[in-house]
Amino acid sequence: MAKTVLIVEDNELNMKLFHDLLEAHGYQTIGTRNGIEALGLAREHRPDLILMDIQLPEVSGLEVTKWLKEDAELKSIPVVAVTAFAMKGDEERIREGGCEAYLSKPISVGKFIETVRHFLGPA
Amino acid sequence: MGFIAPIRDYVDGLVHVSAKHDPLAAARHRAFIAPRLIGSFVALAAFPVYLSVRGVPGLLEIIVFAWLVAPILISYFLSRTGQYESAHVLSSLALTGLVTIVAFKTGGISSFSAIWLVVVPLEAALSASRRVVALASTFALCAAGFLLLISKLGLAPPPAAVDVEHGALAALGIISASLYATGLALGAESLARMSHWLLYAEEDRYRLLARNMTDVITRHGRNGSVLFVSPAAEAVFGTRMRELLGHGLFDRVHVADRPAYLTALGDSAALGEARSVEFRVRHESAHRTGDQFVWVEMRCRPLDHAVGQGTLPNTTEVVSVMRDITERKGQEQALEDARSEAERANAAKSRFLATMSHELRTPLNAIIGFSEMLTKEDSLMLDAARRREYAHLINDSGHHLLSVVNGILDMSKIETNNFEITPEPFAPHQIIVGCCDLLALKARENRIELVTRVPDDLPFVLGDKRAFNQIMINLLSNAIKFTDRGGTVIVSGRVENGFVAVSVEDTGVGIGEDDLRRIGEPFFQARASYDRRHDGTGLGLSIVKGLVSLQKGTIDIVSRLGEGTKVTVRLPADRESFEKIGERPQVARLAARVADATNVLVKMSA
Repeated sequence: MAKTVLIVEDNELNMKLFHDLLEAHGYQTIGTRNGIEALGLAREHRPDLILMDIQLPEVSGLEVTKWLKEDAELKSIPVVAVTAFAMKGDEERIREGGCEAYLSKPISVGKFIETVRHFLGPA
Repeated sequence: MGFIAPIRDYVDGLVHVSAKHDPLAAARHRAFIAPRLIGSFVALAAFPVYLSVRGVPGLLEIIVFAWLVAPILISYFLSRTGQYESAHVLSSLALTGLVTIVAFKTGGISSFSAIWLVVVPLEAALSASRRVVALASTFALCAAGFLLLISKLGLAPPPAAVDVEHGALAALGIISASLYATGLALGAESLARMSHWLLYAEEDRYRLLARNMTDVITRHGRNGSVLFVSPAAEAVFGTRMRELLGHGLFDRVHVADRPAYLTALGDSAALGEARSVEFRVRHESAHRTGDQFVWVEMRCRPLDHAVGQGTLPNTTEVVSVMRDITERKGQEQALEDARSEAERANAAKSRFLATMSHELRTPLNAIIGFSEMLTKEDSLMLDAARRREYAHLINDSGHHLLSVVNGILDMSKIETNNFEITPEPFAPHQIIVGCCDLLALKARENRIELVTRVPDDLPFVLGDKRAFNQIMINLLSNAIKFTDRGGTVIVSGRVENGFVAVSVEDTGVGIGEDDLRRIGEPFFQARASYDRRHDGTGLGLSIVKGLVSLQKGTIDIVSRLGEGTKVTVRLPADRESFEKIGERPQVARLAARVADATNVLVKMSA
């Protein structure tokens, strides 16, 4: 069975990019642009990996990650932050927030896929 | 008395360096030197006269005259060494010696000259030194004892043959001694007057200093109460000096500063150390009402009892100097304000950089990501339709990126006064409608109703067409961006006192009161943080503000959190076209007035 990735991203173009990339590499995806919805989707679908944008409507990706890591059933799902916050100190802050990995936008396709494989293994 | 001045100058020149700067000591030196020099020179001058009258002098006369030279030597000694007491002792010794020899030769204790021994301690009294007086008295007593002894033992030589009777000689002795004593008394009186005058001059100088000093001097008792305050206090505290005595000063110290004030005084008294403290004191002024405080710096130290006279030892009194430092405090405050302003500006720049970085990276992600996918079209098995789609997405993102870059450039042009404005009359209606058309698609996508209520005969605006276009685009995209699905954006236009007013009103998220004050500052977006709901650079409204002010217009934002925002921009109407419009039907003007009233109401409720 194909591994599932939950994409939390509010920019439509970037959502499409991640979706197409993952699909082309044989992963299944679910997507949402809303952090609160992301929590529900994680409970419902139990994805194998979550790609988390940090700047989101309503609640930040960091807040959603905190909720995920506080949930006994969901905390084992690795969270990879994919964000345009790439100033000094942003990576540290985001990793401290509970994300297992950090990718800054603009992504390199190779590194993106490599990171996903690191957590999921080949599809 | 022309001949006195050179004599005085000569005597002044003889005063020793060590005494020159103390007026009283200099007076003493002069009082010592002048009579001795004058007396001796007169005596020397009289010697030839004496010789011509008396013929060849006897041994006694020679000794006496030789002895009269001694004061010149002693004066010279004082002038060279400055040892005033030693000079007095030498003088006493010389006088005692002279009197003793003369008395010895003229009948011992019963001699006419023995009475001069009384003058010796008197002369010493002028030195104002107990030691000198004691020594001089001892000399005189010893001499008297010696004369008494030799008289008793009959060792005195027989009185030289004097052709004057004894009574006359005794009278001469007494008279001359009395005259000399009188001279001494006059000298003593003059010295006393001198020292009195000096004391007065000194006091006067202190009083003058105290009156002219801007610093306040106070003396505090054990519990901090004020025992003395200098006149400068009246200017500093704006009240009578007596009002400050006791607890008057404490009562005027700012309540928040009272502990520091008391601690400084207490520490200074208890630990015997100098202390410095800054505090505020109420300043009472006849022409000002309300509490006015002046900043005062107080340096206090325990009173030195070795100097202070009339105070009992062991009462710990503190003397303090207070200075008005209100001006300095004001400067410090201004400096502090400037510093925090600079810090705020710096923080805004950092935030701007972070936001810019984020806003540029987001479209770049799509551009780089999709183009990289295109380079791997074979391994990713992309068909022609996909490739075309990606090319379009890259193009869209590129355009978005361009708009962000343009925003930054516009803002920086406005900030550096490089935005070129070409004022010309133009019809605003056409531009407003054009902008609404441009954004109608986006409004429809977000299910927002875009309503345009702009009369087509709005007067011409005197401004820059391109800038006005930008203003409308920015206001409309902001309104659409910050309004939820199902909301409404209304654009309206009207005439107000020679201005064309255009309002963009939405039913969006609104702006909080705190944020409202800062909105339109470059790079500021209300509620900026990771969970920012709305993308954008935070430049839209700053650009609008800059462009409006460049066209000599005004901007007015009324908003309520959760209810909506209304931005009104007023730009000067072109006078010519405005006068033509002046003949317009009543209805339109009435409508404008109703719109005005609504605006006022919204403002009042905000």
